[in-house]
Amino acid sequence: MWLNPIVKRDVRVQSRSMKICWGVFAYELILSFVFFVAMMVIEQGNRYSTNNIYSALVWLYPVLAVTQLIILGIVVPVRTASSISGEKERQTFDIMMTTGMTPFSIILGKVMTAVVQSMFFVVASMPVMALCFVIGGMSISYLFWFLGVALLVSVFSASIGILCSSLCKRSISAVIMSYVFYIVFFVGTAAPFFIYAIVEARRSYQGMAPYNHGENTALFFLLNPAVYLIEFFVKVMSGESFVSIFSNLTGTVQKKELISYVASGNWWMIISTVLFLAVSFSFLLLAARRINPIKKRKVKV
Amino acid sequence: MLQIDHLYKNYGKFQAVNDLTLHIPKGDLFGFVGPNGAGKTTTIRMVCGLMLPAAGGIMINGVNALLHQKEIKKQIGYVPDFFGVYDNLKVKEYMDFYGSMYRMSSREIERISDDLLELVNLSDKKEVFVDTLSRGMKQRLCVARALIHNPALLVLDEPNSGLDPRARVEMKELLLNLQSMGKTIVISSHILSELSEMCNSIGIMDHGNLMAAGRIEEVMEGVFGSNQLIITLDSGRETAIRVAMEYPGVKISSAGEQEIRLSHTMTKEEIAKMIGAMIANDVVVTGFHKQEGNLETLFMRVTGKEEGGQEHVAESNR
Repeated sequence: MWLNPIVKRDVRVQSRSMKICWGVFAYELILSFVFFVAMMVIEQGNRYSTNNIYSALVWLYPVLAVTQLIILGIVVPVRTASSISGEKERQTFDIMMTTGMTPFSIILGKVMTAVVQSMFFVVASMPVMALCFVIGGMSISYLFWFLGVALLVSVFSASIGILCSSLCKRSISAVIMSYVFYIVFFVGTAAPFFIYAIVEARRSYQGMAPYNHGENTALFFLLNPAVYLIEFFVKVMSGESFVSIFSNLTGTVQKKELISYVASGNWWMIISTVLFLAVSFSFLLLAARRINPIKKRKVKV
Repeated sequence: MLQIDHLYKNYGKFQAVNDLTLHIPKGDLFGFVGPNGAGKTTTIRMVCGLMLPAAGGIMINGVNALLHQKEIKKQIGYVPDFFGVYDNLKVKEYMDFYGSMYRMSSREIERISDDLLELVNLSDKKEVFVDTLSRGMKQRLCVARALIHNPALLVLDEPNSGLDPRARVEMKELLLNLQSMGKTIVISSHILSELSEMCNSIGIMDHGNLMAAGRIEEVMEGVFGSNQLIITLDSGRETAIRVAMEYPGVKISSAGEQEIRLSHTMTKEEIAKMIGAMIANDVVVTGFHKQEGNLETLFMRVTGKEEGGQEHVAESNR
């Protein structure tokens, strides 16, 4: 089986470095710290309560999972943002571009390396995560759900990082640009809903028109990483859809509204996952096009 | 092997390569000569598919390099002027990495890299980390890396820059060895003496223009003229000039007190007869020889940095 040589090389080189050991150590340290803080909070909260403490301990799962996803979301773009620009800084990029690898396979190799590394961290954290399952109340299938979400977060973050890496000459600029992209996804996708709500509220207040919530603008949240994660954890913990609850806050959503269909069942998660994968893939294609020195354009012969 | 047709490249208003047409036959060791900013590296980068020309065509082994990138990459091995290596990677892993980029099997890579490392004199360094090698060793390793997929054309951009004299000699020997194996090699360099020792053809670039190109001896002949004769004498300068002028096609290029330079269309026998006539007329001829140029003087003349340079080139190009 042909393994992408970049993945093979990067994993080999990085596994020889002490950086990876320190990285795992720091990762486990943060998770352990969060675990103990969460335990303390739960224990304090249940000290004067008649509730069973074990029912509260299930909340360790979302706490640890969110911590891990946040770490991945922060670390993965840093790693990929320096991958192409790092090759340029190291002066190995030109050589790579003259080999038999296509620009897309180079980009894919870099992204796969980042994903493999992040999954390595996630797997290394399993002993800490397992504590949530030992206590009970959680199905083991949630663990695989979490792995799937962690994989998606890694792919999405890596694709943002690699695109920025292909756009910038210097690694530091690429890292900064990656976080700007994050802001665009977090804030930009929430903006239409809130802007529409504010505009409608003003119009309604001025008596110009009856208040229209425009719930369908919430569809932009399909590409909001925060909403995706909240939806995931609310679904896991309560079995309900956060988006459905959120969009029904006013109680005015009509059945015929598109949002009411999208927010039902698991559709939000499915559509959102597909959209995130599509965006990631298009970012990879853009990055591959960007690094290709011979872009398809006419040359006068 | 390599055919470049009317190639143009500009960076904004700066014309880096201007109407470059060049043919390099198979098995040639071609030296690209030119001052900084002449357009050598730009040309090399376009040949290697690292840059798109503004106009023109590049054919390698009959394949259009601008249209069939995938095919062309298999035919080219590229050694850049500056390159880095990966930390924590051993020499054999370095070769394995680049070999697998051409989708070669591990067994094939191992076999070929063993041969190549032996060729570049690094077979005892297989287990050594690449970043610990000396600059000369890294350069030789880079050549081995460029040959891992057995390309027909090897392109080296300033391979000797930053190398010590010993490493330069080793590199020269390696390139001559590769040429004897039938590889076509294009090398750009500033070190003219080295190029003249190993290249059989050259191209001289200046300000994006190809000033002269071809077999070294042909270019020399074109620039210096094939029939330049230098006669050294102790006395009888005037008589010598008079005698020389009696022979058809003789033009006096310069006449010093003890040296006369002339261009002519005479045969060897006629030259002997002319020298004999000079001696018979009491001219004390101490020696005579055909004028031989070297790459340095050729370069200076072609790039117009020596008096009469551009005129000579224009004449030779005609």
